[in-house]
Order: sequence, then structure tokens, then C-alpha cells
Amino acid sequence: MDVLDKLEILSGSARYDASCASSGSSRGGGGEGTLGSTSKGGICHSWSDDGRCISLLKVLYSNDCSYDCVYCVNRRSNPHPRTSFTVHELVELTIRFYRRNYIEGLFLSSAVMQSPESTMESMVEVIRKLRVEESFAGYIHMKVIPGCSEDLVRKAGFYADRLSVNIELPSGDSLKLLAPQKQREDILKPMACLGDAIIASRKERKKNRKAPAFSPAGQSTQMIIGASPESDFRILSLSQGLYKQMHLKRVYYSAFVPVNSDNLLPVHAKPPLQREHRLYQADWLLRNYGFTADEILSEESPFLDEHLDPKASWALRNPGFFPVDVNRDGYFALLRVPGIGVTSAKRIVAARRFAVITPEGLKNIGVVMKRARYFITCSGRPVERLFDRPALVRRKLLIAETGKDPRALKQRQLDFFSNK
Amino acid sequence: MIRYRYDGTTEGLISAIDHILRHEPDPQTVELEVQEQTLFDEGLFIAANSDRTDVLLRRFSSAFPESARQVMYVILSEKEGMETSLLHYIHMVSVYGSRIEAHRTHPAVHDVHVLARKVSREIHRMKGLLRFAMLEDGSYLAKMEPDFNIIQPLSRFFTQRLRTQQWFIYDVKRSLVSHWKGRKLDFGTLESFRAPELSDEEKDVQKLWKTFFRNVAIPERKNPGLQRSFMPMKYWKYLVEKT
Repeated sequence: MDVLDKLEILSGSARYDASCASSGSSRGGGGEGTLGSTSKGGICHSWSDDGRCISLLKVLYSNDCSYDCVYCVNRRSNPHPRTSFTVHELVELTIRFYRRNYIEGLFLSSAVMQSPESTMESMVEVIRKLRVEESFAGYIHMKVIPGCSEDLVRKAGFYADRLSVNIELPSGDSLKLLAPQKQREDILKPMACLGDAIIASRKERKKNRKAPAFSPAGQSTQMIIGASPESDFRILSLSQGLYKQMHLKRVYYSAFVPVNSDNLLPVHAKPPLQREHRLYQADWLLRNYGFTADEILSEESPFLDEHLDPKASWALRNPGFFPVDVNRDGYFALLRVPGIGVTSAKRIVAARRFAVITPEGLKNIGVVMKRARYFITCSGRPVERLFDRPALVRRKLLIAETGKDPRALKQRQLDFFSNK
Repeated sequence: MIRYRYDGTTEGLISAIDHILRHEPDPQTVELEVQEQTLFDEGLFIAANSDRTDVLLRRFSSAFPESARQVMYVILSEKEGMETSLLHYIHMVSVYGSRIEAHRTHPAVHDVHVLARKVSREIHRMKGLLRFAMLEDGSYLAKMEPDFNIIQPLSRFFTQRLRTQQWFIYDVKRSLVSHWKGRKLDFGTLESFRAPELSDEEKDVQKLWKTFFRNVAIPERKNPGLQRSFMPMKYWKYLVEKT
């Protein structure tokens, strides 16, 4: 089998991994004689036909898996063709793509071949060769294979910009059911080990600038949404724990695409993309807006509203918090207003030191007025006097979002039926 | 309104702004435009003084690096009729310094920010979308037709990233070319362009890239609208994966 055939198979098997970020590494250029650099904000090099960004050469080292996880395209019992790259092939491919500016670097994952340890060994050899023999200074994101030794994880961390362990499913029960060979312990242990090593290395580098950086872009993880019955509340609480206790940079959510048919799996007509989208929005609220999971959801209403974004939903449930005055209230209160993001909140705080902000000025600052107008006052003067009528505001927000009036739509449907 | 005219070059623009800031009591009431070749063009013409512009630009960018970048991006945008906004913006910077950020709602500051943002977005986009192809002699060539004149900042970026190989970046629309020889970056204009032969390796690697591009998309999530909104079709002409 030549490299072209292998690439076809091994990129096809890697596409269900959501993460492709090349951001967060501040190494910059590698200096004289090295190939490549990293960019703090990350760079997208293309967008595939599903609209997702392509930043890294995302491939598996091998799809020859000894596990039989029910949701996975590479499960042992699938009659797919199996193949593996050689270390040399993968190194050469990465360098050739990089020199043409196709990619920002390499995203390397793998099926578990004979054992986690031997699989991980080959993967580490790929990135060692890239860094040491090819002087490659581009971005490297590598998956840790649960169950491998701590030694290998440590070694990998000094070559990679980011390491990650996939948590796969939101609960231990689902993992036991759908991925019987994977132990939750095996997943959480390397995560904790990574977290400790990252923090230790950061401390060390504060004392000594030349100390080697361990996984400088931090660690991330991914879970599959919709293959198991956990609620959004459960998922968000888990993410919150991962951010707070394990210091993860990102949790990725991957809408479950049924690639196998199995009695243990739910049957969806389409992957739950809208749910995935709302989870990402809620995740943003956790990381950058100072929200907690139990503000966004609760045991009583454990799922996100599919029609309205989670921040607007929160605002409608808490009319007492509003109106927020853009000329008086603090940064964190501003952040809670639908239509005001991190950038515009910062700009408001800077701008109002010199002049009173008017609704016109808010537009120039970049505030999305079609959402914010119902929740703010400018020096005591409301833009729209509807603070005490959440039901009406909800309708107006939905119209602003979709261009359609949900009530008018319902009315038309009713008329249609009554005429019959 | 007091009207001033300049010769249409960057040096002329900087000289005129310098003159106005030094001689006009209220620059916010001054208009600045390119000299028109008509009999009735009114306004005071200020000639370019290139010795002084170098000094001014250097001083300005060391004092207010962020504002200098905004001004540079507006000039690179090649958009006509921005002179008055630039004049008012630079005047505001001379008054408020780096606190200019807080005056986003001022019309000139707003215009400059909006346009500079468009240019910086295209630079960022091209950092990802530029495609190099390996030529017979082992050097690399990238062609592009960007909306704005971004070859200089873009080339500087690639001197960091692809510093171990020889490359050319060619702006087809403006006939501009930059050349990196491993140590030094040269800019020039191109009179005629002879399409050089690609190396044998190039065809194989392009095939590999197309294969990767096709396979990394999840068929169940196909979304061409989203793809086009991130990667507008005007850039597809030079994308290996889209040709």
C-alpha cells in the first residue's frame, strides 16, 4: 500500500476528532535553521466541505485497533481495510505539507495496536524525529493513548505543543457500556498527570526561562455528544470540573455521527449539530464569561434551549438582574448582557472614562444591539422598555435571530388546519 | 472647511498631514484630497518631502506602535477618499496618545479602525490560504490576488515561518513580487511573468493534499455555505484543494 492509499484511510478515520486548534502556543519561531513557527491565535489553512477549519494534518498513526468501542469507526469488528504509517512516511508528509503552507502542523492520534505502550512509542518517535532530526518548529498536537506509561507521556510533552486524552463519553457507566476495553481510571490518570506536569513546568520556567516547556499549549479533551443518555447539565458540570480541577484549556464536543449500527446505540436521523452548537456556546460562558454550570442549567431543566442561545436564556430567566447600565455597571455585569461579548465589554469600560456612551456609540463599539437593546440602559435611559416582559422579549429575540415570527408561524399552521 | 491637496503618494500624504498639523489651528476642520488634474481644483497643494517623511514615520511608530499599524493598514488598503479620516485620526492620536482606543465612537477613528481591521483580516487569512508550489530548481512560488496590497507584511511573516527555503510571493493583480533567499527579503515589480516548471515532487504532493482534503470532511455534516463564509470563493483560484 502506498502513502496515498494510507493517507486516504488514516485521514478518513481521524476526521471524527473535533479538535484542530493550533492556538495557545507562544513559542513563536524556532530560530535560525529551524522550519516553522507557531502563532498565538492559531491559523486556519483551509475549510473542508463540512465547514470545519483545517489547521493541522489530522491523521491516525494506525487504524488497526484491538478495541471494540461501539461508537467508533475503527472498532475491531468493522470490516474496514487496516493500515499504519511508518515513522518516516509520516514525518516526510508533514514536512512536505508544511513547506507548501498547507498546514500549521501535525495532529497525531492512533488506534490502539498491540498495546497502548507500543502504539504510543511509535507516535512519540514520529514527533521526536520531527523536532530533533528535521528541526521542525511548527505546531504538534498529540493524543495520549490511555494505559501507556507515564515515562512516555513525559517524553511526549517535551516535543508536543499540546497533549490531550479523550474522555470519550460523559460518564463511567456509558464508557463501560460502549467502550468496554477502556477504563475511566486509565483516562483520568494521564489527565491528572499531564495537568501536574504542565503546572510544574510553568513554575520551573518562571524561575528559569530556558527550562524546557512541557505541552506549552496545555491539554484539551473531547467527548461525544448524543451517543449516550447524559443530559447537557451533566455534560457541562463535567466540563466545569475539568476546567477547574484539571486546568484543561478546552473541552471539545463532537456530535455523534452513527458510523456503525449497533443495538446499544441510539438512532438519529442526523447528527445533533444544534445541540453541539449550544454546548459550545455554554462552554464559552463557563470559560470566558464567569458563569457556572448551575446558573446555565439545573436538575429540573437539564437541557439547553435549542432555539435560543444559553446567555439569552439565562437573561430571560433572571429579569431581576436587568437592566444593566452601560455607563455605570461593572465589567462582569456587562458581560452578562446578551449581545455584549468580552471585546465589547472591555471597550465599553475604556470608552466611558472619556465620554458618556449612547446607543449609537454602542453600535460603533461592536455591541449586537438587536440582542442587547432589551437588557440595557444608557445613563438610566432604556433603549427599549421591556425588562419586565420576558415572554415578549423572547419572541423578539427569536425574530431577530431567524427572521421569522414563531407565533405567526404557529398561527398560519392553525389556520391551515381549521380551513380543512 | 479648509481644503488641502497632495500628489497621491504615501510620502505626499504624510508630508501634507505633517504640514497641516503644524500650521492649522484646528485640523478637525481640514479636508485633504488627492490633487485632481482639472482647472477648477481648489485647495492648497503640499509637495512631498521624502527625507522628512522617513523621520516622521519612524518617530510615530516608536511612540504609538498600535496606531502606526492602523495607519499603515489603511494606506495598504489603497482605498480612495480616506485621507481626511487619516488626517483627523492622526490628529486625535497626537492629542490623546495611546488612549485613542477609548475614542472608537469618533467618526474618523471608527473609519480607520473598520478599514484597518479589514486589511488585518485579509493578512491573517492569507497567512493560512497562501499556497507554495515547489519549482524545478527547488525554490517555491506562491501566487495570490488579494483585495488589499498586503505583500509586504505577508512576506515578513513567511521569512520567519519558511526561513529555510527559497521562495517567491507573487501578487498577480499588482504585478508585485517578493523574494526570500534565506537571509534577505527583496521586493520588486514584475514586467513579464514566465510560468516556471513545477518539480516532479510537486504533482505528487498536491495529489496527497487533495486526498487529505477530501477525506477529512465528515459527509454527514456537509455544509458548503459555512465553508464559503469562512473561505470566500475569490480565494479559490490559487487553492490546490479547490482546483
